[in-house]
Amino acid sequence: MSGQSDLGRADLLGMLAELTAKPVDQVPHRVGSMELAWLVHLVEQRYGRRLDLTDDQLAAIRTVDDALAVFRTSLTSATDG
Amino acid sequence: MERLTGNPTARHPEWVDDVLLAGRSADVCLRLPAPVDRGTLRRLVGEAQARLTGAGLRHGGAAALRLPPSLAYVVNLLATWRVGAQAILLDHRLTDHEVDRALARLTPQVVVAPVHAVGGALRVFVDVTETVTRYADRPATSGHAVIQLSSGSTGPSKVIGRTADDLIAEVRRYTRIDGVALPGERIILLPSMVHVLGLVGGLLYGLHAGVELVPPQRLSGDAIVAAVRAQDTPATVLGVPFHIGLLASTRPDGPLPQLTRMTTGGELVPAATAQAFTDRFGVPLGNMYGMTEVGVIGTDLHGRHRPSIMPAPGIEVREVDGELRVSCPASPYVGLSDPTRWADGWLHTRDAGSVDPATGLVTVRGRLDSQVSVGGMKVDLTEVEGTLTGLPGVAAAVVVYDDGITAYVQPDGPLTEEMLDGLLAERLAGYKRPRTLRLVGQLPRTTTGKLVRSVAALRVAAP
Repeated sequence: MSGQSDLGRADLLGMLAELTAKPVDQVPHRVGSMELAWLVHLVEQRYGRRLDLTDDQLAAIRTVDDALAVFRTSLTSATDG
Repeated sequence: MERLTGNPTARHPEWVDDVLLAGRSADVCLRLPAPVDRGTLRRLVGEAQARLTGAGLRHGGAAALRLPPSLAYVVNLLATWRVGAQAILLDHRLTDHEVDRALARLTPQVVVAPVHAVGGALRVFVDVTETVTRYADRPATSGHAVIQLSSGSTGPSKVIGRTADDLIAEVRRYTRIDGVALPGERIILLPSMVHVLGLVGGLLYGLHAGVELVPPQRLSGDAIVAAVRAQDTPATVLGVPFHIGLLASTRPDGPLPQLTRMTTGGELVPAATAQAFTDRFGVPLGNMYGMTEVGVIGTDLHGRHRPSIMPAPGIEVREVDGELRVSCPASPYVGLSDPTRWADGWLHTRDAGSVDPATGLVTVRGRLDSQVSVGGMKVDLTEVEGTLTGLPGVAAAVVVYDDGITAYVQPDGPLTEEMLDGLLAERLAGYKRPRTLRLVGQLPRTTTGKLVRSVAALRVAAP
């Protein structure tokens, strides 16, 4: 399926900017449970599918970069599978 | 009925059966999504009661519930009250450090905690297997039915108690508010039941009124929509402003005739957000104002008075020197006598606001102290700052709210953000921790040496 590996850091920062009403360059890179729920929700909306993330994967996400790595893995494995 | 005094006595436990658990056995009270009917709930509460008393809980004692939102939480809460004991509600996100301090102060007879929980950060409701552990052998520190902790300005959390009579009065207050979910309808429950909106406005009101409580399967917009769609009966979505965004950013997928209204508490919703919601779903976005100390204070469930609210039945609100005060017969604070917080039957909300003498409408204009709202959770920045300042390697710290909790830290030795992160994670629940940490060589100070708290000056100090 096309378009599933194109998720970038800028996309996530844009999503957080929407949540926090801050300019993208001022969005905190730390991700709490609320920010994480927001990112998962918007990534799912964008790709029209549910991200199957384990508790361990979710618990390991502390930053935007962590989230990006986990989401990419999930999107890629869903495509491969 | 007992008098409300500074040291209330426990009410007879029959109130649980009379006010919350009455009704036909076959009526569904929870959908998780499997339906839990009243008969099942009564049986589970009875079984939990036996486990709690077997572990040492007695009438007049206390049980600390350190459980995530779950059927186990509901059952143990009701069972604790049915024993005639006090329930100490500990948010499951609190750290061991925060919980240990609370337990040492409140000395419950038992602690209920999960041995196994399924479902993580994105679950609204969790499957929990709990264990009951004996903790102390003392009576409860007060006769309140419930104890809740609020982020405090003086180090440890504020301890807030509410009597059974007070909870019953609030539940009955809800039944008199125009626009709440009605018997036979559903509440799509998003706020945590450990905190006042989800606890009384969701769980207790729902059980009392015969409204089904439906937590979505996960914390996402699609799951909220799916929960609304799952039955034909009218549904009210109860949440905080964060949840509006989740719902409003779903892809339109046909009509949602079951959706009656969304009601949020916790913080004000910008008018544009409210309008966008109403345009999209064609139903009102209601607003509630309340506090842990007294529960619901006022509402605007039809969205007609935004940003104002009308005091709830039986609640009086007045403005004194720009601060809102709310009628509250007895001090809700345990172990704290502070006339700047409660005096002579009035709670000092520390919210700036005004009361329109002609209409009685109340307008809340924000905090007069250092408390902020993070996703509906109250956080006192002084607690965050005090915790940071007490960490090894920290010379001074200033914590401000700059569209998120932001900490400026002056180290007195080698210190990295990662080290600070790790230390904070041991001491503060996640929602209290700074989203932005900035290490600065020298925090700005006034000529008399006081730390400067202006966001603009701090931004300059840490470009």
